[in-house]
Amino acid sequence: MSLISSPFAKKPTSVTELMLWVVFATLPGLFALVYFFGFGVIINLILACTTALGTEALILKVRQRPVLPILFDGSAFVTAWLLALALPPLLPWWMTVVGVAFATVFAKHVYGGLGNNLFNPAMVGYVLLLISFPLEMTSWLPPAELAQNPVGFIDALSYIFTGTSMGGEPITAARLGVDGFTMATPLDHVKTELAQGYRLAEIETHAVISGLSGSGWQWVNIGFLAGGLFLMFRKVIGWQIPAGVLLGMVTMSFVLFAGNSDHFLSPSFHLFAGATMLGAFFIATDPVTASTTPKGRWIFGLGIGVITVIIRTFGGYPDAIAFAVLLMNMTVPMLDYYTKPKVYGHKVKRQQGDTDAH
Amino acid sequence: MERSGYKSEIPIFEFHGGIHPEEHKLESNQTPIQEMTIPKQLVINLKGQAGNRSIPVVNVGDKVLKGQVIAESDGIFSTFQHAPTSGIVVAIEKRPIAHPSGLDDLCVVIETDGKDQWIELFPKKNILELERAEMLAHICESGIVGLGGASFPTHIKLKRESGIDTLIINAAECEPYITCDDRLLQERATDVLKGAQIISHLYDDIKIIVGVEDNKPNAIDALVDARKQLEMDTVKIAVVPTKYPSGGEKQLIQLLTGKEVPHGGLPADLGLVMHNVATCVAIYEAFEFGKPLISRVVTLTGEACKKPGNYEVPFGTPVEHLMSFCNATNPGVLVMGGPMMGFELPNHKVGIVKATNCIIMAAPKELKHDHIALPCIRCGACMDACPASLLPQQLYWHAKADEFEKAEEYDLFDCIECGACAYVCPSDIPLVQYYRYAKSTIRNQKVEKTKADKARLRHEARQERLERVKREKAEKHRKAAEARRKAAEAAGEDDAKKAAVAAALARVKAKKAQQDDSETDNKANDQKDTDA
Repeated sequence: MSLISSPFAKKPTSVTELMLWVVFATLPGLFALVYFFGFGVIINLILACTTALGTEALILKVRQRPVLPILFDGSAFVTAWLLALALPPLLPWWMTVVGVAFATVFAKHVYGGLGNNLFNPAMVGYVLLLISFPLEMTSWLPPAELAQNPVGFIDALSYIFTGTSMGGEPITAARLGVDGFTMATPLDHVKTELAQGYRLAEIETHAVISGLSGSGWQWVNIGFLAGGLFLMFRKVIGWQIPAGVLLGMVTMSFVLFAGNSDHFLSPSFHLFAGATMLGAFFIATDPVTASTTPKGRWIFGLGIGVITVIIRTFGGYPDAIAFAVLLMNMTVPMLDYYTKPKVYGHKVKRQQGDTDAH
Repeated sequence: MERSGYKSEIPIFEFHGGIHPEEHKLESNQTPIQEMTIPKQLVINLKGQAGNRSIPVVNVGDKVLKGQVIAESDGIFSTFQHAPTSGIVVAIEKRPIAHPSGLDDLCVVIETDGKDQWIELFPKKNILELERAEMLAHICESGIVGLGGASFPTHIKLKRESGIDTLIINAAECEPYITCDDRLLQERATDVLKGAQIISHLYDDIKIIVGVEDNKPNAIDALVDARKQLEMDTVKIAVVPTKYPSGGEKQLIQLLTGKEVPHGGLPADLGLVMHNVATCVAIYEAFEFGKPLISRVVTLTGEACKKPGNYEVPFGTPVEHLMSFCNATNPGVLVMGGPMMGFELPNHKVGIVKATNCIIMAAPKELKHDHIALPCIRCGACMDACPASLLPQQLYWHAKADEFEKAEEYDLFDCIECGACAYVCPSDIPLVQYYRYAKSTIRNQKVEKTKADKARLRHEARQERLERVKREKAEKHRKAAEARRKAAEAAGEDDAKKAAVAAALARVKAKKAQQDDSETDNKANDQKDTDA
């Protein structure tokens, strides 16, 4: 007898659908990335997604799980997609492959697959690459308006797969700005210049820093912000985590900035720099690895915001969202435990050990 | 669906979560309530209500009249049952019953004679002269239970008098598909209010509030008219927005009062008592006409049902009779109750019970979906939908891992199994099933533990008894030896021979006494062990 059990009615929203909404919402940010940093971004996306689906299929086979239904839940695809959006545009192809494969195998399936992992797989892949290949991972291209040698699609393909352009130019050529200097990202640039003893006001006159948070970057961030708000509106993600991240970031950077505005970046710069919006709306909101209670999500987000500013300011790496996310991932079991909501009919929130008889 | 524009007469509060499933009410609420034809046989389940089995008072071969008592309350927590029509009792035996387990239970089977001949009825219109206990007894003897779906014996719910200040009539009927209360209000709102009036006589001073969802505009209009006609101006009509599960007792209380029923407590702790509209009508008929509860309005609906609507169905009517009446050939799923909390009927022969508010004869694909369950991604949609403010994702996690203590720590037993979580789950996880599994396992474990505790106590008592017997024996030996020694001393040296004989005798005596003792002890112990 195979009786089914209530409820018999079902809202037709699937995991796959949620994942597709996430991918869809990255489009404005993606367009900005492609516009300012060229077609390398697209090539990275294709590379990463192919790798992810291949690796996922393989490991599901090894783990003797049903391959097709799980492959099409979209989670591997989204991990690869988000990781690719965070990678420098001309990263050598095999690094992308290694990062994505590592994320899929070690950050996800070693824990038991979707739903069981403790750490954000995309960020695990990103951090593996960042600490293994710091030079390549921080080598961004100049934004379109500042580039001396804009890179076309064919050249991008050639750089990624061979390390040189079609004409045999080394990758450093692509990274030269109009002024003939090698370009760094705005956050990286500020960090190195501050270390050289410049004051912020002086650094801010440099071309790469122009605008809110650096040429090109502010638009990328605005793109991801728009997509993120759309996700929030569609209720694909909750509002607590993004709000927490941004609030944490603003608070922490404001404290530093108010103390010494010559030396510390302003909150508005932090908000639109680097991977802020991608991190706040798309990375930190990964439901599997984030806190699951409303209050826990707030704390989780705040933590990421604060830690990001600390690492960006005092740490060795220019951007820090990935580290902040992974560090806060570690606190999730504890956050979830101590932030249970008040249950109907209970006078106060149940405390640990308070197990009254039923 | 159309919403009533009627403004609630009391302020409405909110409850956490809730969902908006497709309502499916229009299929069945467009036609007036009709009488169901009487089937050839009625299968009346003696456990057809919450609580204990009723005790049959008829025998196979007895002729029964409509309204005649066929089973009595066990005096504690069950109710009376009456013959829904006249006929002959042809069997009292185990039959499949309307229960999700699909188990058999004791049923009284009546072969109907088609005459539908009533027994003499004794109305009790003189309510003002009746004692409270008399009224409750009459409600009990009329076989009235809560008709909202849980079928809790009504006289027990009405027992507590002190501190009750508000009677809430639950007309929310929030489950999709079900419209029996809606139709009942549209057609008989005055009877509902008269029933409420009778209930109010059980209390010194009580306010009456009718809680109704705004997707029943005609019912609300009928209520307003009925109130005017009966001049029951103090009755308040509370219109709540349509949201599932507004009709849950705890949720409706929160909507209407802003208060929460305390954990482990009852609505009475807040001064509230709640009854369903159909229960009010049953109470009215029991006093006005002396009519016992022998039938109820049941919604027959679903795509496979060719004559959807609401029908006055005698208890015990086999579901297959309802199906053939509605020309429902081959439904995909046959559900008793609503799609959110009902259960699939394992058998078409089961008789409807007092709790049956709806039978959904669904088309093959109407209520079944063939998605496989994907892993939980902790998205929290279930948490947002939970009307009890639980964390269903954590409950699921612990229930799945058999971590029952953890599940209890996350207040598993506060889950009302409304199914809102499973409804919204994007991974299609049958969450409620996991909670039911965890709850039943925990209950079983508790029973097992009590048993084990009892066994341990018994064992310890036995050990202690054996020890005591041993001690007493040693004491006896010691005393015997003492006696021997004293005897020897008394006899003196000249009479050594005599003393030796006396000592020998004493020894024998002591040995015999000891043997007797141990035999009786052993017997006694054996007896005790068997008793235990």
